[in-house]
Amino acid sequence: MATQTARLRLCDLQLAQGSRTVLEHINGEFRDGAITALIGANGTGKSTLIQGIMGMLKPIAGRVECSVPKERRAWLPQQLALDLTFPMSVEELVMTGSWPSHGALKGYCAAHYRKGREIMSRLGISHLAHRPLGELSGGQRQRALIGRTLMQEAELLLLDEPFANVDSETVEVLMTVLRDMARDGATIIVVLHDMEQLSRLASEAIVLAGGHARWAPVESFLQQPIADSPAPFLTHAISGVGSC
Amino acid sequence: MLDTWIWWISSPFDYAFMRRALAACLVLSLTAPILGVLLSLRGLSLMSEALSHAMLPGIAMAFMLAGFSLPLMMLGGLAAGLITVGLASIISLYSGLREDAAMASLFLLAMAAGVLLITLSGSALDLGHVLFGSVLAVDTTTLLLVAASCSLVLVILAMAFRALVVECLDPLFLTLQGRHAGWTKALFMGLAVTTLVVSFQTLGALMAAGLMLLPATAARYWSRRLETLLPLACGLAVLSSIVGLLLSYHLDLPAGPAIVLLAGVGYLTSALLGPYGGLLGRHVTRRQRDDTGREQHAI
Repeated sequence: MATQTARLRLCDLQLAQGSRTVLEHINGEFRDGAITALIGANGTGKSTLIQGIMGMLKPIAGRVECSVPKERRAWLPQQLALDLTFPMSVEELVMTGSWPSHGALKGYCAAHYRKGREIMSRLGISHLAHRPLGELSGGQRQRALIGRTLMQEAELLLLDEPFANVDSETVEVLMTVLRDMARDGATIIVVLHDMEQLSRLASEAIVLAGGHARWAPVESFLQQPIADSPAPFLTHAISGVGSC
Repeated sequence: MLDTWIWWISSPFDYAFMRRALAACLVLSLTAPILGVLLSLRGLSLMSEALSHAMLPGIAMAFMLAGFSLPLMMLGGLAAGLITVGLASIISLYSGLREDAAMASLFLLAMAAGVLLITLSGSALDLGHVLFGSVLAVDTTTLLLVAASCSLVLVILAMAFRALVVECLDPLFLTLQGRHAGWTKALFMGLAVTTLVVSFQTLGALMAAGLMLLPATAARYWSRRLETLLPLACGLAVLSSIVGLLLSYHLDLPAGPAIVLLAGVGYLTSALLGPYGGLLGRHVTRRQRDDTGREQHAI
């Protein structure tokens, strides 16, 4: 159920990569149950912002306020740290999602396996349950990874270009699942380049340019030609960013 | 004929030193390959080899301080190994140098320091014994120490197995959970160092990683499932240990190298014949694919 509360806030956030300041004075909040698209040209700091939100990059000033427990946060980066040669099946990968809340010592019980099978069925990968990860296509792999976040009951989900190199059927399945997760109250942030996908999935957007960020309803800029050159739009849009 | 075989297999174990050697090798064969599988999956195979060499100065210093006491020498090796791992992590963290490069530099340093210390300590500590091991000289105290250490490693492995697997598969996933990531890696490296130290008496500092890595990498050519890889790797290590000891006894070969060489033969055979990535297996698959393609084309 979508609410108007926000469990993720950025307060005068300033992030740097090495000695180079990438983003400064970022203020805003992510509503629970909203899917927020993160857009901007290459090098504008999308990955830096995600790293900052996930606590992988320490802010040089300001702070990230996040009340979502760590075990309910999930991040699917574009360049996966996941080792695809790992001798593990799709079902086993999905089941690892229950580990953070389940603990390291207890084994999986029948209810966990039942939930895992339901999730795989929802994502249309039941027939791949016992297939090794290395034999999956890009789309199948992305479905399995989203399956893990569902198993994790993620309440904060960050996705970096989740539809890149993915077949159109998978895009539809993943969009449906992401909308369902948002409807259940999850905060979802997704880096997107495709404006058509953005308009269908996201309810809000953050545009990054020139080291600044601007929150805006998706409709407010979809008509504007920001995809190729977001900077002129932002010069106008960034004015009036409120403090936290 | 059968009698000859039974004699060939059983006669060496009439001797207590051979029974102790067999027990030590079997205990090690049921522990080290499990860590080897996880190390190879994490891409840390070479790191473990470097680690086994890094134990040398600790072993030498323990000898210089307390004489020929295997428990203390193993403790010294453990301390040296853990210090090297810790230093490599710190150097990598603060200088940006990759951890394997830091480890390689430190292990060379440790190796040179170790050999120097052993030489300085006089002829009482046989360099060959330290470098190549002497499984046939395992006494009851050492055997108990090996068995106790391996049992402890196995119990901890069983308890932390899921965390270790998740950390191998997707370190980012575990890092995001915050609480466990650093500890899991430290625990993993601690278990690897402990097992290497235990292997040192049997196979020596130069080949301590032999029973850990060779069966583990060989097993990967035969299965893509973790639950099959682990018993396969242990099975190959057990086989190498038993046959290696028998060959060593009957042909008067040094036991450590015989065991590691047999594990190496197992690896080469697997790399040639294994269905998953083996040279011959890949050739057969390509032939089948070509044939299928030609048939479809003809139709």
